[in-house]
Amino acid sequence: MKTSVVGSRVTREDAWGKVFGQTKFPADVNLPGQLYAVVIRSPHPHARVLSINSDYALEMAGVVAVLSAKDVPHNAHGVLFRDQPVLAEYVRMVGDPVAVVGAETEEIAREAAKRVQVEYEVLPTVFDPEEAMKPDVLPLHPSLRPTNVLYHMPIRRGSMEEGWAKADVVIEKEYNTQHVDHAFLQPEAVLAYLDERGHLVVQTATQYAHYDRGEIAHALGLRFSQVQVKTLAVGGAFGGREDISLQVIAALMAWKTLRPVKMENTREESFYSHSKRHPMRMQYKTGATKDGKLVAMEAKIVGDSGAYASWSINVLRKAAVHATGPYVIPNVSIDSYAVFTNNPFSGAMRGFGAAQTVLAYESQMDLLAKEIGISPLEIRLRNIFKVGSTTATGQVLTSSVPLDQCLAKITPYLQRGGESE
Amino acid sequence: MKKRGIGLGCSWYGTGYGNGFPDVSSAFVEIHDDGSATVLTGAVDVGQGSNSIFAQIVAEELGLEAQDICVYSGDTDATPDSGTTAATRQTYNTGNAVLKAVRQAKSSLLVYAAREFSCPTPEGIELKEGYIGVKGDPSRRVPLADLVFQARLRGERFISAESSTARSTPVDPETGQGAPYWPYSFGCQSAEVEVDTETGVVQVLKVVAVHDVGKALNPTQVEGQIAGGVTQGIGYALLEELELDEGKIKNPAFSSYLIPTALDVPNIEAFFVEDAESTGPFGAKGLGEPAMLPTVAAIINAIDDAVGVRITSIPATPEKILKALAEKNGEVNR
Repeated sequence: MKTSVVGSRVTREDAWGKVFGQTKFPADVNLPGQLYAVVIRSPHPHARVLSINSDYALEMAGVVAVLSAKDVPHNAHGVLFRDQPVLAEYVRMVGDPVAVVGAETEEIAREAAKRVQVEYEVLPTVFDPEEAMKPDVLPLHPSLRPTNVLYHMPIRRGSMEEGWAKADVVIEKEYNTQHVDHAFLQPEAVLAYLDERGHLVVQTATQYAHYDRGEIAHALGLRFSQVQVKTLAVGGAFGGREDISLQVIAALMAWKTLRPVKMENTREESFYSHSKRHPMRMQYKTGATKDGKLVAMEAKIVGDSGAYASWSINVLRKAAVHATGPYVIPNVSIDSYAVFTNNPFSGAMRGFGAAQTVLAYESQMDLLAKEIGISPLEIRLRNIFKVGSTTATGQVLTSSVPLDQCLAKITPYLQRGGESE
Repeated sequence: MKKRGIGLGCSWYGTGYGNGFPDVSSAFVEIHDDGSATVLTGAVDVGQGSNSIFAQIVAEELGLEAQDICVYSGDTDATPDSGTTAATRQTYNTGNAVLKAVRQAKSSLLVYAAREFSCPTPEGIELKEGYIGVKGDPSRRVPLADLVFQARLRGERFISAESSTARSTPVDPETGQGAPYWPYSFGCQSAEVEVDTETGVVQVLKVVAVHDVGKALNPTQVEGQIAGGVTQGIGYALLEELELDEGKIKNPAFSSYLIPTALDVPNIEAFFVEDAESTGPFGAKGLGEPAMLPTVAAIINAIDDAVGVRITSIPATPEKILKALAEKNGEVNR
């Protein structure tokens, strides 16, 4: 199709404001008379809050309110399950918010936050997902799952027995990936206030304003029509602004105090207030014939969901579906698990489960090529998906599968360079 | 000694929510009396540039320039829900919703214009360069603004609301069989690295990235996504790791949690392949997440090519490289 504007190098409208520093990020907006709110976070990875004494904080001049779980009408949020408290009475990870202080200045709010005394009953912890999977380990979400196994996805295709019988070469290896932070450059910030209509307005940087509106309305017991979420400039997201964070806490403080409320995370607070990329342990066994055709693959993938479900089910499903790489393998057995632990919660991050498995399946391809004695390019060319190929889930790829064209374009760049001292 | 190697990585990515989860985007379009237009959509532009993509789609359909289009997004009081900016779905999904919406507004505009130009079918009308008129007869056209304004005087307005839903079904929970995502995006990258065998430091010298985008709606933004994705991939492969002690983050600061800086980012050559996806807007598929996927594999495979060690746990820190080199040399010496 011939197009003129589509396909052209139009300059983005937001480019100028960003280049000249005029763009308004949520940290840049303020209202007269606003309070500053600061969150008190749990230092313990698993604990029950026994009591919160805010007397010493409230004694300070300029402190307006200290709110905790009892002040939240419906104290839960979450993308798949509402398993995460707005303000926790039961703590499942270090950094869970347990209370919030509202004060006239940020300095007063930060000082007052130190004076709030929280008494905890510390509970047993588990940090290793494979340990956490054991049936006798204390489940972190008994109302969701009887054990810490949040999700198991099997993929079964073909016959493993036949597959291994055809394999001349088998490579078996374990791969491990780490917890990663989104490290967006703009830490979470929010301005929440009641406008002249009596509507609750929340200005923030989010990936999904309509989701945030629903979670705020749910937590406070409001109608969607009473809550406006307005997205200001977003300084990077990468999945880290999927789950709601400060928005709902600031909205609560504004609703309770009838004052505009400003919140802005420090970098350290930011690390504790959004999800992480799932670390995964991936045990792979891949078999090929001596002419480099893949015939069998078996994989076990265990992902650390951390303290809350967030998107873990979808992430570990995506890991399983993509675990073969873009290659035809007729005999496949994959088991993918998402497991609760007391680590920081894992959620969406660019790649969403399909980023971790690349390390495993592409390492396996190079190792197989070496063993067989063909080039890394050659083994890929012999196995890649094309139009009409069937994936491990039995899906037929009906159009637009141009990996062969991509590889043709990259081939000239695969020449090996020299060595230097 | 510094040794160089080249590695290749391929990847694929099923875009959209997947597994039958309702993946719906919506958009409102209004064509104004002066021949400009506004599109309202809930899709948040998180910096990846979706607002300019939507402006280009509307401009293309109405025969206007991108700067003639106002895109307003991500405000729940004014814009319809378009789902989350994630899953590489905004160009494809909300792009489709915007395309459907502008075509709906355009179709009533064409019907009105056909009457004005005594043309028995709207097929005979075209929108081009800010004008609306009879296809194949450049003498019979008027500025779009004139026609829209005149239509208002007669009580006709060109506004629309549309939604688009991606195709996806749940897989069988026992066997994992099914068609969970559509469409899939593909790509490959090569990395050339230099490994210092004394310090274990890996320097990425060059990355070449080739990605399948269906149709590049804005090539500059495609290159931008690739540059950002490769950079994030380098961080994933070599630098970034949250250090935990009993669930406590030991490095919650950019002085200790290392992300790539300008000095870590090599020359990146970005290419794209256009093999139209029939269900995408103008054949387009998303690129947001796929852009970072092959980088880690290309780097890890390049390290092996350079010094003959297989790193199986990322990030490939200097400590891990030195340990692997020592083990390899130990084996040789034995």
